[in-house]
Amino acid sequence: MSQIAFHLNGAPVRVSDEAPTRTLLDWLRESRGLTGTKEGCNEGDCGACTVMVTDATGSRALNACILFLPQLHGKAVRTVEGIAGPKGEPHPVQQAMVDHHGSQCGFCTPGFIVSMACAHLNGATDHDDQLAGNLCRCTGYAPIIRAAKAAQTAPVPDWMTTDLDITCSQISPGGEAAGRGGQAAPLPGFHPRSSDDLAQWYLANPDATLIAGATDVGLWVTKQLRDLSPVAFLSGITDLQQIEDHGDTLRIGAGVTIAALRAALGPRFPSFGELLRRYSSEQVRNAATIGGNIANGSPIGDGPPALIALGATLHLRRGDARREMPLEDFFIEYRKQDRQPGEFVEAVTIPAQAPNLRCYKLSKRFDQDISAVCGCFNLIVTDGLITSARIAFGGMAGTPKRSATVEAALIGQPLTPATAEAAAALMAQDFAPLSDMRASAAYRLTTAQNMLRRYMHDLAGVPVSVLEVRA
Amino acid sequence: MTQHLKVDAPDHESRLDQMAQGVLGEPVSRSEGQHKITGGATYAADAGAEGMAYGVLVQASVSAGRVTEIGEVPGVLAVIHDPRMLRRAAQGMSTEGPDAGPQQVDFMGQSVALVVAESLEVAQAAAHALQVRYEARQVPVMPDAVDPEVPEDKQSATGDLDAAMRDAAFRVDQVWHTPSQAAAAMEPHAAVAQWAGDCVTIRAGLQMLGFCREQMADALGIDVGQVRLLAPYVGGGFGSKLGINAEAVAAAIASRQLGRPVKVVMSRPQVFDLAHRRSETTQRLRLACDSNGVLSGVGHEALVSNLPGSEFSEPVTQATPFTYDAANRQIVHKIARIHRSCAGSVRAPGEAVGVTVFECALDELAEAAGIDPVELRLRNIPEMEPGTGRPFSSHKLAEALREGAERFGWADRVAPRARLEGEWYIGMGVASAVRVNSLVESRARVTLTPQGRAIVETDMTDIGTGTYTILGQIAAETLGLDLAGVDVKLGDTDFPRASGSGGSFGAASSGTSVYLACAEIRDKIADMMGCAEAGLTLQDGTARCGNIVRRLDDIIRTPLVGDGHLEPGKTEDSVRQATWGSHWAEVAVNRWTGETRVRRMLGVFACGRVLNHKTARSQCLGGMTFGIGMALTEAMEHDPRDGHMVTRDLAEYHIPCHADVPHIEVHFLTERDAYVGPLQAKGLGELGICGAGAAVLNAIHNACGVRVRNLPATPDKIIAELEI
Repeated sequence: MSQIAFHLNGAPVRVSDEAPTRTLLDWLRESRGLTGTKEGCNEGDCGACTVMVTDATGSRALNACILFLPQLHGKAVRTVEGIAGPKGEPHPVQQAMVDHHGSQCGFCTPGFIVSMACAHLNGATDHDDQLAGNLCRCTGYAPIIRAAKAAQTAPVPDWMTTDLDITCSQISPGGEAAGRGGQAAPLPGFHPRSSDDLAQWYLANPDATLIAGATDVGLWVTKQLRDLSPVAFLSGITDLQQIEDHGDTLRIGAGVTIAALRAALGPRFPSFGELLRRYSSEQVRNAATIGGNIANGSPIGDGPPALIALGATLHLRRGDARREMPLEDFFIEYRKQDRQPGEFVEAVTIPAQAPNLRCYKLSKRFDQDISAVCGCFNLIVTDGLITSARIAFGGMAGTPKRSATVEAALIGQPLTPATAEAAAALMAQDFAPLSDMRASAAYRLTTAQNMLRRYMHDLAGVPVSVLEVRA
Repeated sequence: MTQHLKVDAPDHESRLDQMAQGVLGEPVSRSEGQHKITGGATYAADAGAEGMAYGVLVQASVSAGRVTEIGEVPGVLAVIHDPRMLRRAAQGMSTEGPDAGPQQVDFMGQSVALVVAESLEVAQAAAHALQVRYEARQVPVMPDAVDPEVPEDKQSATGDLDAAMRDAAFRVDQVWHTPSQAAAAMEPHAAVAQWAGDCVTIRAGLQMLGFCREQMADALGIDVGQVRLLAPYVGGGFGSKLGINAEAVAAAIASRQLGRPVKVVMSRPQVFDLAHRRSETTQRLRLACDSNGVLSGVGHEALVSNLPGSEFSEPVTQATPFTYDAANRQIVHKIARIHRSCAGSVRAPGEAVGVTVFECALDELAEAAGIDPVELRLRNIPEMEPGTGRPFSSHKLAEALREGAERFGWADRVAPRARLEGEWYIGMGVASAVRVNSLVESRARVTLTPQGRAIVETDMTDIGTGTYTILGQIAAETLGLDLAGVDVKLGDTDFPRASGSGGSFGAASSGTSVYLACAEIRDKIADMMGCAEAGLTLQDGTARCGNIVRRLDDIIRTPLVGDGHLEPGKTEDSVRQATWGSHWAEVAVNRWTGETRVRRMLGVFACGRVLNHKTARSQCLGGMTFGIGMALTEAMEHDPRDGHMVTRDLAEYHIPCHADVPHIEVHFLTERDAYVGPLQAKGLGELGICGAGAAVLNAIHNACGVRVRNLPATPDKIIAELEI
């Protein structure tokens, strides 16, 4: 017997004896008959299943198709059926979508409505970014953006704020949902409240699957139908969700979401912030964590190249034992990391300043696309000479990888186009990239070299931002 | 009595312009919008039923061959491998079931079985676990691996193209390649089937119910009268739901066998495998012109592919014979029989890729001849249809080009690579838009109640196009009612059979049938008023004849019913019917990365009467966005070893997302086309994609000097040719 308690469209619900990896989408549609939330892809690409999830820290849009029911415990979920008022009054974004013809076939519309209502609630007006995770094949998007703009000045309807009141009042400081009668049965899966809890449990259960945002693990279930048990859900470990300012360095907990990371680091590292703006979509950024992005060891994740260029130190923990290493050393080969059974990523530390950090993401589609090449550059120039060079790429090898030969060639050289040209020529000594659907080997190598040229122009003050030509 | 019209002659009367209500053409919001924004619109997969079981399709893991054994899985209700199950989807407007018999495998990913269970989870797990054994066969999967068919009736030649090429002042002779492309409608295919006695009701995502009903009856081996199809909401089609597909037939068979309702929903990868793809094409264009840019030769050769035995072949050159004049012409059409998934109609079959490539070639000819691309097009627009000498039903290409050039600021275009802003090359491109136009037989019933409300009933579908709204507007205009006084009921084969949604003919065809039904009611009201219909004015629920004014709810005692029946007639052949327009794009190409960003686009279109400026405009916006995808990102990649679809999800098949789509403007030219009947309206759902990609590709060349002839123009292809 297990039980999960949360609010659904303003009303409390208890869900008993569901598998810990049952997705919210399937449960909504098949068990609750709430079919307004659609399945368009079942892997977090299209946003047709977007729901609003509120906890004490706020409301955010998430993809229900890769969200497991236990992740919702103690939270409040609002689906498209709960966006209009209690008497059926349309939400301002709903009315605007009708007025501006933002809905054609209508299948993507519920997801858009929830994303828009969530952005509206949060006062977000960067509509292109807020809605990048919602695909539409009919409208060409402009009518939807017009609708979002038209609704942005309307006041937030009072029924949209009740979820925050509910979650704040019902969740004790310890995080347990204190619904009437208390928790009747244990939650499915293990729900540690601290990193100490996790360390102890994971040591005893080294074969377990750790689930943070589930943006990748979710696909192991929906696409690969894998049995992940035993599972631990990490979202209650608040001590892993902190960003600590230590003066010269910042320590970023593994549980910090990409959205939180972007908010915290964007002002400090604008180029990294821009990279994170294009990191998947709003729904994914709201769920995915930096620890997950590192731990899964993807050669094409966008977090590691930037962190490596920054000179990040990775903190690992196994039981009570802790160790640290330069982040680049964690990635041994394709999908193989230097991680022991029962060991988990605890945090990553980066320097507090890096004025010359630049991050360039190259993908076929501008948003919502996996990088063909992600190049991150961080030179320190003293008295006209390069004194430190850190250059890291994603998409160029089986792991995120530094360009050691190029870095070495740059040290001690003046910051000139000739230096860039000479160093770019050495790039082929560091990388032998693959040809795949995303890009050819030749393209990857050429653009990696060109990124260095672009970086030199960038440091010299030539405008390079793709923002200039944003749609 | 049925008001029947066969369009044998032009209708110059413009009767609709004499109506008084003033609602037709207005940019009113879609009438079913409320259901869509609240989640209340029920698509096929949303339907539930008492005792419903769940089916999941199992797909072939070999490229071709025979199923020798279907394993067993515990815990399921049934594993179905029935000879009536489909091997491929029905082509649009077919009246027969498509190839059936899942014992045979024609392509990797084909449906071979259905696993049915009490719950979706169990069905998915069982389908995943099911062992199927095959006797596999080696088959070709690459178009260039076989000697293609060269069907005689698809070849044509006039004059001597070789000589024209030889003697030309300027010429282009190049080969283009477009990859397989997907409709990628947001709603995956789904069906819920339920039997009552010997009759089956199937709720499914389908575009053309009348044809689909015939296909379904044939596939199941029952009478048409035993099949009822429901599709009140369809989450996009773009051709992918023209005909019945594996999920609906499998659901019907399973439901019959188990005696309970069965739902089958395709996963997104299954949609990519099982819905028709737009064939990849290899196109050779030969264009010859004199020193003034006047075309002397046009050669268009196309190689497309499909499965053995599939009748459809992408009609790449459909618009080529009549778009521009040239004395020497040659059309070549070849079909490679290979074992990729089935090819069929995807939004604007033919012109979407044919016009796009042709307009790229024309841009190259303009460059060779040193003539402005707009001017070159203007010099080659024919007065009459080349070859046949038929008049055009209407022809606004020249106006669309001139109007577009003015609105877009074409005069500011500079030479290639002449405009560098930061690290971005900026350029502009143009292309003509053209799409053939036709009508399809369509029926509708309209009832005017004693309360003065109108009910429109037809089995037409609204796949996002706005059918609910425009049919309401036509009825409201003709019967003098407020739009809120019209109920439109669609998507049910119990209603009169309409054209269905496809080929851009839905609005004009079904709209005319609604108009005819209303015209019959007008006759009846005129009788009651004692006047001629021509003297009858209906407005705001009142009828007026001369000095007599009566409220409709006063004079109607029993419901007045009108039945409208449209058939295409002689104007299909007596004139060349087409819609016309022009596409304009401004792009930025990154000198370091080869990335292309579209900065702005404009489309100028002529499609006869615009029935609703809001829904019409959205059709064009969406079509032009397809063009951006075609030019820059969309490609179905097939594994060269076994033909299987590699890019079979929305993460790897890149339909444009928000940030890929710039500000797009749409402008309609005022036009009435009398040759399509009293509505004087032509199709619009596909014109927006025809040539849009060419404007983008031509703009890329104008920006950075690179011609990408192997679509899409991804950054790697641009950087390979880009001079730093």
